[in-house]
Amino acid sequence: MNTQPYPIPENELERLAALKRYNILDTLPDNAFDDATKLVSYICGVPIAHISFIDASRQWFKSEIGIGVSEVPREISFCQYTIMETKMVEINDTFLNEQFKDDPNVTGGFKIRFYAGIPLTTPDGYNIGTLCAIDHETKELDENQRNALSIVAKHVINQLELRTKNIELAAQKKIADRAVLAKDSFLANMSHEIRTPLNAIIGFTDLLAQTKLDTVQHDYIDSVQIAGENLLLIINDILDLSKIESGNLTIESEPFNLKKTLKQVYKLLKVKVSNDIEFNLFLDADMPEHVIGDQGRLNQILVNLVGNALKFTEEGDVTVSVKMLEETEDYYSLKFSVKDTGIGIPEEKLKTIFERFTQAEESTTRRFGGTGLGLSIVKQLIELQHGELQVKSKVGRGSEFFFVLNYKKSDYIETKTEAAAGESLGKLRILLCEDNVLNQKLAKSVIHNFGFDLDIAENGEIGIELLSKKSYDVVLMDLQMPVKDGYQTTEYIRNEMKLTLPIIAMTAHSLIGEQERCYEAGMNAYVPKPFKQAMLLDAIKTALNPENIPTRRRKVDLSFIDETACGDQNFKKEIINLFIEKIPVDVANLKEAFSRDDYDAVKRLTHNMKSSLDMFMLADLSNCLSVIEAEALLERFTAMGEDEINTLESGIVDVVKYLIEVQ
Amino acid sequence: MRIVLAEDNDILRKSLSFFLESKGYEVDQFSDGKEALEAIETNNYDLVLTDINMPGSSGMEITQYIRQRIQSDIPVIILTSSGVEQTELDSFDIGANEFIAKPVSPAVLLVRINKLLGIRI
Repeated sequence: MNTQPYPIPENELERLAALKRYNILDTLPDNAFDDATKLVSYICGVPIAHISFIDASRQWFKSEIGIGVSEVPREISFCQYTIMETKMVEINDTFLNEQFKDDPNVTGGFKIRFYAGIPLTTPDGYNIGTLCAIDHETKELDENQRNALSIVAKHVINQLELRTKNIELAAQKKIADRAVLAKDSFLANMSHEIRTPLNAIIGFTDLLAQTKLDTVQHDYIDSVQIAGENLLLIINDILDLSKIESGNLTIESEPFNLKKTLKQVYKLLKVKVSNDIEFNLFLDADMPEHVIGDQGRLNQILVNLVGNALKFTEEGDVTVSVKMLEETEDYYSLKFSVKDTGIGIPEEKLKTIFERFTQAEESTTRRFGGTGLGLSIVKQLIELQHGELQVKSKVGRGSEFFFVLNYKKSDYIETKTEAAAGESLGKLRILLCEDNVLNQKLAKSVIHNFGFDLDIAENGEIGIELLSKKSYDVVLMDLQMPVKDGYQTTEYIRNEMKLTLPIIAMTAHSLIGEQERCYEAGMNAYVPKPFKQAMLLDAIKTALNPENIPTRRRKVDLSFIDETACGDQNFKKEIINLFIEKIPVDVANLKEAFSRDDYDAVKRLTHNMKSSLDMFMLADLSNCLSVIEAEALLERFTAMGEDEINTLESGIVDVVKYLIEVQ
Repeated sequence: MRIVLAEDNDILRKSLSFFLESKGYEVDQFSDGKEALEAIETNNYDLVLTDINMPGSSGMEITQYIRQRIQSDIPVIILTSSGVEQTELDSFDIGANEFIAKPVSPAVLLVRINKLLGIRI
């Protein structure tokens, strides 16, 4: 071994810092580098080639041919000298080279006779490693080979730069993703904070309006109601926009009565129309009654467009018309138009009115109010239904907004829906878990209207206590509560108390994913707040119908399988099939061994199964196995072990169901 | 590079060997400790990856046999689902080079294997 202290570049500290920046040391093999190494070996016709990086103590090979080790100490490497140079080092015959002729890697070791090394120089000028061609025979490279080596070296550095940039990009993307997530949850929280009191305001105003009032009081209450509903609209607008942006807004496809919907919108808006405006609704004579589509969104679009038309029209008329353009075997094609004789929009503004927070005039907001979100949402809602919002307008003459939507045909026959009354359900006992006092009062009066009995728990803990003392028919569950929130409480009711009674989530959150989370926790239905009486009653009815009690859906995390399968779908399938075939049999064997008090067999089976369950990230079921295994080790099976086996068995049934579905 | 993988859980064994094979290793799989041991004696492997609890011979026995009877310094990685600290201490005591608790992260396993194979020069 060379006992001479090895040469140190004068910028060694900066050089090491530069190397560290690339985060390349001790990384896994990489095709791009392996290809470059092969290229060097082909170009120079040598059996040994490598790309290496030199840190404080070692030469580490990112890629190598004919070396077979991943690193060597720096003091025995040839390349420690190469990084001192600015250009290629070529030693045609090491036996004739004073510095190397006695080197252990020349006389023995790698038996280096020919060496060509080119420093890998970063754009800021540091030699962090080398690209080398080595042979056991003497050799001389020609000019083309030398040029080719320099080019490959440049490519290697480019590759490194690219790699670093990609890592930086990925990190930035993560930050951006997190920011989006933070924004979403901020919106959800804000909407909760705003909607909870608003829910109470609208609800109580609703109840108050039903009491005996004089004309003046009626007038005041009407104003409060309108203001409350407007505020709710604005909050919903903001939420909608964030949902559209994050791709979380879905268009429903349900049968609905189109004519009735249009008439309702008309009636709703008619009350807001001043005397100077004539407000018309024109429907084509051959308009279909029933179609399949998203009623709520059509409502929202028309209310928005008509609302705008009324806002910007001082006198004249506002006309909503719907025309059937085409009828095919499967769908109707309908043109919706909202036309006014208002102030109109200047031509140069026609493009920007669909952008959010933009109105035709800066001063518009001051004069006419609004968030400037409406048109942007309407445009996107129409696009989500594969239509396009168009506009024609002339200043001083008025505007027309129109769009074409296709609705699928429906063979739906309307059945008369029951009035919102609870008599048919008898006297239900209902438990409400809700911390907000105003909401408690509101729910109380609504539920008393139905004629049900109600107990109130102000958090999940108290709810559980009540449930353990008294039997109920339904639980209404707020999601955000102190002490124990709605999810935790539901999980406790389902998993610990093993109760199957219907649990209905009530929440002011309205982000997608939340509903799913509710079902996953074991809830049966979901009512968004602020709730309407009829909606709550509907949810209670549906939840009480035994056919509608959903089995808890389990999701299986397949990330481990994906990782080991390295993207090979067939192999993933094979492993999943193996699980489906094997684990239920294991469970049956375990059950049988347990009943025979065969401790050894139970130990063996639980141990073996645990590895399988861990691979499918089934921590809860793996836990069951641990409990059973512990009992087997103590050689005493108890009722607890039996419970765990039953939980395991039904859990595996769910898992297998899920796995079969995803196949 | 040739690796012995001794693991009696079929699903885990198949997955890990598929993973390692797609990373360029040659893997001989065994579900029985005794068979694994025989293969280690007769063949020239670069690394041993073994579970502890297995029919035939346990991973501990395999490690002990490699170090004491065959006197080989081939790297040995022990996989186990036992969370007991003593098991880890015992593993190193009898000469294992690495100890990985299950569930095994494939990426971590690969890095450890690469590290061990790099050391052997």
